Amino acid sequence: MQITTRRALARRLLPVLAAACALLPQLGHAQGKPAVKIGAVLSMSGPAAVFGIPERDSLNALIKEYGGMMDARKVDFVFCDDKTNPTEAARCVTQLINDEKVVAIIGPGTGGGILAAGPVAQRLSVPLLGPAGTVAITDKNNAFYPWVFRIAPNDTAGMESLWKQIVRNGAKKVAIVYQEDAYGKFGAEFAQKLSKDLGFTIVETAGVPYTATDLTSQVTKFRNAGAEAIFMQLSVTSLGASFLKAVNEVGFKVPLYANSGLAQRGFIDAAGPLGEGVRVLSIGNIPYDPTPTEQKLNAILAKSGFKPNGWGEILAANGFMTIKAALNQITGPVTGEKMRDTIETLCGFETITMGKGCFSKDNHDGWAADATILTTIRGGQFRSDAK
Amino acid sequence: MFEYVFRGLLNGSVYALLALPMTLFFTTAATVDFAIGAYALLAAAVATAIPGPLGIAAGLASALAGSLVMAVIFILLKRTGSEGIRVALASFGLSLAIASLVLIVWGTKPFVRQTFTTMFEVGGLRVNPQGLLNVAISLLLVGATWLVIQRTQLGRMMRAAAVNAAGAELAAIPVIGVQCGTLVAGGLLGGIAGLLILHSSGMDFTASLGLTFIGFAAAIIFGIQSPTRCLAGGLAIGVIEALSAGYTSGMVTSMVPSLFMLLVLMFGQLGTGRFSGDRP
Repeated sequence: MQITTRRALARRLLPVLAAACALLPQLGHAQGKPAVKIGAVLSMSGPAAVFGIPERDSLNALIKEYGGMMDARKVDFVFCDDKTNPTEAARCVTQLINDEKVVAIIGPGTGGGILAAGPVAQRLSVPLLGPAGTVAITDKNNAFYPWVFRIAPNDTAGMESLWKQIVRNGAKKVAIVYQEDAYGKFGAEFAQKLSKDLGFTIVETAGVPYTATDLTSQVTKFRNAGAEAIFMQLSVTSLGASFLKAVNEVGFKVPLYANSGLAQRGFIDAAGPLGEGVRVLSIGNIPYDPTPTEQKLNAILAKSGFKPNGWGEILAANGFMTIKAALNQITGPVTGEKMRDTIETLCGFETITMGKGCFSKDNHDGWAADATILTTIRGGQFRSDAK
Repeated sequence: MFEYVFRGLLNGSVYALLALPMTLFFTTAATVDFAIGAYALLAAAVATAIPGPLGIAAGLASALAGSLVMAVIFILLKRTGSEGIRVALASFGLSLAIASLVLIVWGTKPFVRQTFTTMFEVGGLRVNPQGLLNVAISLLLVGATWLVIQRTQLGRMMRAAAVNAAGAELAAIPVIGVQCGTLVAGGLLGGIAGLLILHSSGMDFTASLGLTFIGFAAAIIFGIQSPTRCLAGGLAIGVIEALSAGYTSGMVTSMVPSLFMLLVLMFGQLGTGRFSGDRP
């Protein structure tokens, strides 16, 4: 009797189990489309780790916030550290595309890395979303132009408004200190270009290596040249702080301006009281004066226990939201080509940072000058000037 | 002109302090410890984390700990071969490891401390007292090291260890012990240099190799075999850097010191015909 009952039960359960098994994949589809993998090649070590680590933290916070899902699709992020090294960046991109089958990559972390990885992305047909200001990465003359998008304002964005302010504040003779790399040199050269139109003269320039231990000679030179203001094209915060110390030591009292490279909490912390009054161009201003949109990002970061540091978080969030917007529009299987084609059509999509994100076939620079804001260091904080 | 030379001398004294451990280790082991910059970085990082004088002590202790690790590596390498280049390469590795450790623990924030807020004026020049303190400490340490190497029993043992390790051992000199002692003393000197830089210009996690290279340049430019020569090297590089920053523009500024070093090394007769550990 007992055996009969068991058999009868099994007979009844079998069709139910079979039906459940048959339905499972359907259920999976009903909950979400097939999973996709996205790469994140960031400079998590080396000099650019200053930005790479906040970028990583921001991505992790966003992944957690959205439960690893985008458009009812499971999205796995695969991270690779390019060690601030272009060769390593190209290797990471190759590995993520070939081995992990990612369909888009946020990164590499630096302009040099993106330029090195561009040909790889083109050959393997996967778009790169570069969090770097280096103008050359989206140059239309690059053979890989179709495959590289920028998720940051480029290095020229906002600079014009900063220089206009310098001139408006009465400085006609300006000295420039810049770090000896592509970022530094570009800023100094761009200022030279702007000088004719805006009516100022660059009386002296000084290139400084990352590890300079004393900058008083440079400041002395600026003073002797009769500079009325100093512009700092630096992104190494210790160098920025060291320069302010040198200005104080030489006793040269002129207004100081800095490009967005120094819009980092580390600069304020290191500069201390010497930073007061320095005008800094900033990509967004999440740590001190977040806009209502930026407050959303701050809330997400706070939930994961991260403190907003500066623009590293902003750029990663731009990349994340671009991927999200592209996936929302893609139906059917997601490929690198589809991602590229879709990103080119995105404009005015949902973002959680300052400025409007807008790409097109002729414009791979997703964010423009409206993503930057002029700030002044007051009370140890970057306070946004009125726009 | 005078202002540039003066500021160059102030800065050069710190370079000399970075060069000193290289000279010391070369004098006893005929090889170079490239982790000096990393000891300086570690000391600065630890000193920033702990406020007050305790931070300075902890910074120096951490630099000592770093050089102790190097001493262990040195002993292990000595057991399997005698080529100095292996030690030099291993020290590069340790330098990278320490820089990574600093990045992991302290992140990317810069390490800066300001001791003196008021400057004083000498003949129309504003001077940070820290700069003068750096010079004083540097001169004191270079002088003390010179005395130890040239005038003491320990100095003779150190030089003997480099010139003829086997012979020195036969003469009952604990060669490995002396060499390890020098490594650790070098770590302490590197730590002191790191603390001086922390209180003058500051640094961040990328500084270690840059500091090592500038120290190495200061050590070799006039000959690596004597502390006084490394003082001269450090001061010369400091002055040339300052003059170059003062009278040239743009990218040329950092080329001039390298060019100067190249010329001195190519044509300079200082230090030729002399060997490490040689008697004066």
